[in-house]
Amino acid sequence: MTPPPIDLRPYLDELERFDDGLMTPAEQEAFELRLEQDADLQRAYELYEQITSDLRWVAGHETLRHRLQGLDMRLDQRQDALDRMHRRQRRQQRRWGLVAAAVVLAALGLWLALRTPPPNAQRDWARYYVPDPGLPESAGLSSHRPLLAEAMQQYRAGHFPAALHALRRVPTDNLGQDTVLYYNGIILLRQNQPVAARSYLKRVSQMPQSNLTSKARYHLGMAYWMANQATEARAALREVASDSLNPYRKPARRVLDAKVIQPQDSSR
Amino acid sequence: MPTTANQPLAEILTQMRVGNQSFLIKFYQDRRDHFARWARRQHQLEPAAAHELLRTVLVDFYDQVADGRLTKMPADMRAHLYGMGQERMEAASRVSTGTEELPVVEASRRQRMLRLFRQLGSDSQLLLMYFYFKAFSFDKVAGKMGYANANVARLQKANCLRKLYEIMSRDQNSADDGAGAAALAT
Repeated sequence: MTPPPIDLRPYLDELERFDDGLMTPAEQEAFELRLEQDADLQRAYELYEQITSDLRWVAGHETLRHRLQGLDMRLDQRQDALDRMHRRQRRQQRRWGLVAAAVVLAALGLWLALRTPPPNAQRDWARYYVPDPGLPESAGLSSHRPLLAEAMQQYRAGHFPAALHALRRVPTDNLGQDTVLYYNGIILLRQNQPVAARSYLKRVSQMPQSNLTSKARYHLGMAYWMANQATEARAALREVASDSLNPYRKPARRVLDAKVIQPQDSSR
Repeated sequence: MPTTANQPLAEILTQMRVGNQSFLIKFYQDRRDHFARWARRQHQLEPAAAHELLRTVLVDFYDQVADGRLTKMPADMRAHLYGMGQERMEAASRVSTGTEELPVVEASRRQRMLRLFRQLGSDSQLLLMYFYFKAFSFDKVAGKMGYANANVARLQKANCLRKLYEIMSRDQNSADDGAGAAALAT
């Protein structure tokens, strides 16, 4: 900067009043006249004009700088607030997610703990059914009724179709009808054919003179159960359970006490 | 850029010359984050440094308009201002004064005035900015600064101007002393 050629201080009041338009018209006219005549005043005025011009430039520069700085601070604050809000939202979402997961897990655990296992009639039937052991193997049976002996052997071995085949070849004059009907029913029941078994067993159960009647009632009850005829099954087994002479009294009672005979949606 | 769609470029320049800085303020508000991303891609500049750079560029641009160095508004303001930022980043070691293209005497005088102005108290700076840049009347200055009346504002302004002049005189004296000492040493 060019050094001030003149000390402005003695002129400053007057120059300011002139520049700020605070002089009366007469004062202004007199001042303008002096400006033309007084060289020092003129130099002071030029310096004053230069300083105020530079000051205007500086003031504009600084105003913009301050405004931009202020704006920058506000934008930073807004950004910080937005970031904080997003963080809080994410934290809240995570927290709710955890709570939801915990609730789902707790509900799942509770359901697993409290749920009653779905009834499985087939499994229950197999669990409670006491199969007929078949006729005992003996020399007399083998020699006099070889086909019946073979049928019993296949039955005990679990070869039910072969057992049924052999049984149906046994001549009827050689064997009581109740026995043939009974073992037909028994073998068919073991082959999971309760409807077919039921008719054989029912006929035997209605033969009061037969030794197999009481046993047939038990197997008939179990055939009803397998055929999903819960009412008939319970009635037949109740009859067996109340018969003190029936060899299947205990198994029948066990089934009834367990209350596992329930009607199913799908029939066997 | 968005503003130019509604406002002709020449009008923006005219408005800026009479001290309307709203175009630049809006530019900063709209473009700050975009400029920061661009500066990070171009020169790996941190956001805070990029924001500062954009502010400097905008003040520099304003000075150019106010000085009359820029007489025609660039057709693509964004490209022009980003280009200024690019130049500054490339010449990072060179400290720009923002007045390089002015005559040396004028540039150095203005930079000196800027330096000395910043030595004033913040209230004095604000008052002088209101009066000399925003051209507020004494009444309005009094209202803004919380003075009793326009006369107080006038006295305060006179006082600030004297303070600034004192600082300038002291600075001039110390510069003269330094120059004198250097001359004696040689």
